[in-house]
Amino acid sequence: MNTKRLLLGMAAALIVGPALAQQPAPAVPGWAVGRPEGSTLAPHGPTLTVTPVDRLPVAALRLPEGFSAAVFAHGIPGARAMAEGPNGTIFAGSRVIGRVYAITRNADGSTRTRVIAQGLNNPNGIVMAGNNLYVLALNRVLRFDNIEANLDNVPAPVELTQAFGLPGEADHGGNHFWKVASLGPDNRIYTNVGAPCNICSVDRDRFALLVSFNLDGSDRRIEARGVRNSVGLAHHPVTRELWATNHGRDWAGNDTPQDTLIRVRRSGEDHGYPFCVGSWADPQENAGRNCGEFAQPAALLGGHTAPIGMRFYTGTMFPEQYRNQAFIALRGSWNREQLSGYDVVVAKLDAQGNVTGVEPFMTGLRDDANQRFLGRPVDVQVLRDGSMLVADEQMGAIYRITYRQ
Amino acid sequence: MLRMLAAAVLAAAIPGAAPAQDAHRGAELARQTCLMCHGENGRSQTEDIPSLAGQPADFITLQMILFREGTRQVPVMNEFAAHMPDKDIEDLAAFFASLPPGPPDDRRARDAALYAAGQALVGPRNCGVCHVSDFGGRAQIPRIAAQREEFLARSMMEYRDGRRAGADTQMNGAVVGLSDADIAALAHFLAQQD
Repeated sequence: MNTKRLLLGMAAALIVGPALAQQPAPAVPGWAVGRPEGSTLAPHGPTLTVTPVDRLPVAALRLPEGFSAAVFAHGIPGARAMAEGPNGTIFAGSRVIGRVYAITRNADGSTRTRVIAQGLNNPNGIVMAGNNLYVLALNRVLRFDNIEANLDNVPAPVELTQAFGLPGEADHGGNHFWKVASLGPDNRIYTNVGAPCNICSVDRDRFALLVSFNLDGSDRRIEARGVRNSVGLAHHPVTRELWATNHGRDWAGNDTPQDTLIRVRRSGEDHGYPFCVGSWADPQENAGRNCGEFAQPAALLGGHTAPIGMRFYTGTMFPEQYRNQAFIALRGSWNREQLSGYDVVVAKLDAQGNVTGVEPFMTGLRDDANQRFLGRPVDVQVLRDGSMLVADEQMGAIYRITYRQ
Repeated sequence: MLRMLAAAVLAAAIPGAAPAQDAHRGAELARQTCLMCHGENGRSQTEDIPSLAGQPADFITLQMILFREGTRQVPVMNEFAAHMPDKDIEDLAAFFASLPPGPPDDRRARDAALYAAGQALVGPRNCGVCHVSDFGGRAQIPRIAAQREEFLARSMMEYRDGRRAGADTQMNGAVVGLSDADIAALAHFLAQQD
């Protein structure tokens, strides 16, 4: 070990704490900073085989009075972010299985699923603009023109990777590279660029951002800075403001920092990564910054609950109290001693767009007594009839929630 | 060989062990396609090809799906896995998971200095957090104890250099900044575990 490495190692050890400072140790990788000695927490593995329909946990789902859930589609391993085409096709992206699914409804109410793209690197950014489907993967942006008319014979997509110029695999160093995408009321594509680490100082113009583009990939605009890892975006149907979910860092406690719901009041505003989450100063990367100088979260969603997809409820089937409220899928924790999340929650907003509370909406997938989970909600989608779809990535299924008085 | 297979089949036949998977059927499939390279008892005697004996079933299932879908690129494996039904993959996984793990016959003798260098890295890199303290793996996380040394080294370099990703990005983070010499030491230490 040369002198420079030794010094680096010692510097890292000093930051972590006096116990490690007694002997020079190899530098602790950024993702593991703060990890307690002896912890055995590790991410839960995905299920990427088909789960038989009779093994889906639909009977375990709990909803408020008057709501019910049924299986909308199944046999779609890893199904994640959803978008709806003008003719009612539901498109679903995925992460490691690399597929994009198209789900159509048969006359009898059953569904048919096609794989319309595969072998892609985490194609989770799925957005419709007119008749065209955009797919944002880690290293590519593809446009499938007039997709609903071509589901049985999908033509080669238009390659927009260069035009969008998003950071690639090497830039992300394997961290937070998955995309989410949404079409804004200004007809621009909104997406995320995650931080290339658990916690580290980053180029704040390149990473930990929400960004928007024209449909052809031109005119990149930074919508929000200092957003560690957002995997859910939606525009408020009335105020047109951009809202997003955001994951806090790991290895800083069971309850700190909290995952957050953020509201972007002004394009380009700063949400604090890596220095702060709300009023919470990061123990390693705060760099003496006052947390009050950053935009504060619209709501705190709990430690490690992993909020993913979100949508405002714009339908009329649900009771009036749910109109324009934010539904958020919590994929559920791994970096926490007791499981948290695994629910769909609703953030209640007042007329000014301030969050007045966060309430459980769909529960039952987290088994606290046995510390296990039955599924992982990852996205919500409001259908035109006012019902709501919930994608369960772990079970490879989509549930449909309806309301009847 | 036959006795070993029979033992594996018996182990898998214990009620409740793996109800949906059929290790016996997996053994038949493996005999046709896998064992030539991965070793008759699931312990690879071939350079650069990993041992699969005693790997967690979830790990094998996940990797086979990544091969099938082409999201993990190893041309020979992509070809074998192409169009393979989930059922075949799960049965193969149950079979390999049921085999007793162990080192390859040609495992080299321990190099004390290299072993110590590797041992010194295992703690700071938290290898045992996910792979478990005996490095036997769990769920989607592989057994790395007694794996072939050159395969361990190549895998860590692929993660470090961004040429491989798992279901999540933990391994990419875990090996970030390791030198080739660090990786060689870690691979030696892990290959020597039993």
